[in-house]
Amino acid sequence: MLIKIAWRNVWRNKRRSFITIAAIFIAIFLAIIMRSLQLGMYDNMIKNVVGSFSGYFQLHSKGYWEDKNIDNSYKVGDSTIENIKEIEGVSNVIKRIQTGVLSSNNNLSKFLYVTGIEQKEEQKLTDWNRRLVDGRLLDSEDKSIIIAKGVARYYNAKVGDSLIFIGQGFHGMQAVGIYPIQGIIDMKNPNLNNMSVFMNLSVAQDFVSADQRITNLVIDKEQYFDEIKIVESIESKIDIQSNDLMTWKEMTPELDQLIQADNAGGMIVIIILYMIVSFGIFGTVLMMTQERLYEFGVLISIGMKKSKLMTTLIFETIFLTFIGVFIGFVISRPIVNYFHFNPIRLFGSAAAQLESAGFEPVLPFMNTYDIPFIHGLIIILISLATCIYPIIVISNLNPIKAMNR
Amino acid sequence: MKKFYLITILFSCCNLYSQSPEEIIKIADKRLRGKSSYAEMIITIVRPKWEKKMELKSWSRGVDYSASLVTSPAKEKGSVFLKRKKEAWNYLPTIERIIKLPPSMMTQNWMGTDFTNDDLIKQSSMVVDYTHKIIGTEIIENLTCWKIELIPTEEASVVWGKLIVWVDKKDYMQLKTEFYDEDLEIVNKMVGSNIKEFNNKKLPSKLEYFPLDDEGNKTVIEYKIWNFNVSIPENYFSTQYVSRLK
Repeated sequence: MLIKIAWRNVWRNKRRSFITIAAIFIAIFLAIIMRSLQLGMYDNMIKNVVGSFSGYFQLHSKGYWEDKNIDNSYKVGDSTIENIKEIEGVSNVIKRIQTGVLSSNNNLSKFLYVTGIEQKEEQKLTDWNRRLVDGRLLDSEDKSIIIAKGVARYYNAKVGDSLIFIGQGFHGMQAVGIYPIQGIIDMKNPNLNNMSVFMNLSVAQDFVSADQRITNLVIDKEQYFDEIKIVESIESKIDIQSNDLMTWKEMTPELDQLIQADNAGGMIVIIILYMIVSFGIFGTVLMMTQERLYEFGVLISIGMKKSKLMTTLIFETIFLTFIGVFIGFVISRPIVNYFHFNPIRLFGSAAAQLESAGFEPVLPFMNTYDIPFIHGLIIILISLATCIYPIIVISNLNPIKAMNR
Repeated sequence: MKKFYLITILFSCCNLYSQSPEEIIKIADKRLRGKSSYAEMIITIVRPKWEKKMELKSWSRGVDYSASLVTSPAKEKGSVFLKRKKEAWNYLPTIERIIKLPPSMMTQNWMGTDFTNDDLIKQSSMVVDYTHKIIGTEIIENLTCWKIELIPTEEASVVWGKLIVWVDKKDYMQLKTEFYDEDLEIVNKMVGSNIKEFNNKKLPSKLEYFPLDDEGNKTVIEYKIWNFNVSIPENYFSTQYVSRLK
């Protein structure tokens, strides 16, 4: 009965309802668009830096992260890898062995990181073909190397030249070798571009005399899967005594901090937005209540209980907010989806700046459902809070004064 | 007058029997080097979790020239470390190249041992670069030793703040050396043991080198053959010959 009355009340004065709905709609729409853009940008940054190379998680032997030494490598069984692959949300598991070496060619020398990879598996993480600048990728039989473009620039090296590596092998063995270059790759990240050299995993293991051993097990996750849950499931399947599972936040804390700092700024903007919006909603509610004081007075004087009147008003507010939030959802959804799949591409100096920091200069939107859900909920809560005003007004209402105009 | 003679004789007697610390070090140093030497040795690198054995042949001439050839393990066989005066060269058979070690690599480990390249190149002369003082007598391995303190002279380019060397009184063997840094904190220790006769010279055949900062780490050198004053062709110490050393 009350619901019916409330519903009818909403449509009795269409213009008044429309103003309230519009206020709510604008709030939810702006909040969704802003957060989608911001979170989408972070997600893209993470994907650029983390997802394309270092992975969301890495499994090391204990002590490797502090002392990145080939002596801190470990053996990993195929069954362990299979177990990790089976975890929901894990998309790829990739073996790598990495070591720092002194490289040289003619009169130049340079410190580099040599990484032994399984090209086929790496391909699942990023499309190496798209990043290849010159030459070709590694076949499983190749004993040659792929160098990053910064290294190629330093040595002025071309496909077909050779580099000499001297480093420390496993358990005090010398690691010495000469390898022809068969490809040059753009790592899309200045640090990686200046330091990286890739060879087949087995070739690298032979180079450092560490048969079957790896230093990093890169574990990639599917987009939007909860990291904490995956960490817990992986840790239940590995030997935590001798291994360390690290998330990208631990491995690249600077990226996490950058995002956190930026996110805090975004939060402040959102809070300001919500403050403006709450006053907007409050304004319309205030206006509505004042407009309807006469009506309330009549209703009470003909015997309607104040509590029932309050309930009706709350229902009215709920209807109005839900309609506003729903319209906000419906209109923002296609926009968010469009920009998710066709991200805004930056150009000019802004793009150059992002690129030099190692990020792709695009602004994709995040299209998860939790953003509209959370912000819809916040708006509903705000509207319910503004209901307090008419409730107070009604409880203090004197029908004679209200009707006496 | 007679009294004076007696005193003089007494003093000269003293001088006869107790040598100056400089002389002790000089004799000990000479025993170790000779004019030239050839040695075969096993070097064991000991780390808390693993150890590695290498076999080496080594030729040396005086202080300035030496060449060491790795004969085992198989993967490193043929590597040569060549020292020519203040220069160090490394021949790596896998890449068929000889590399002159840059100054930046001088503080790196020598072939993975606890010695640095600098230790081998800049072998400061215990005789010339230090002032010597006998600070006591101690017994090591049942041998009475002089305990001699060596302080670097001001103009010497030496990395150590001081050395303490134990030299046995009978055969002038260096049985123990302690290396101190500039703050006179002990950093390294070298202990000789397992005394054997090489070419009629008594020498410790086993040398253990402890870097005291890294617990559980040590390098052990065991001499199998150690011949002195052998004739070594000049070209053994040339950068062209390294690939043919056997």
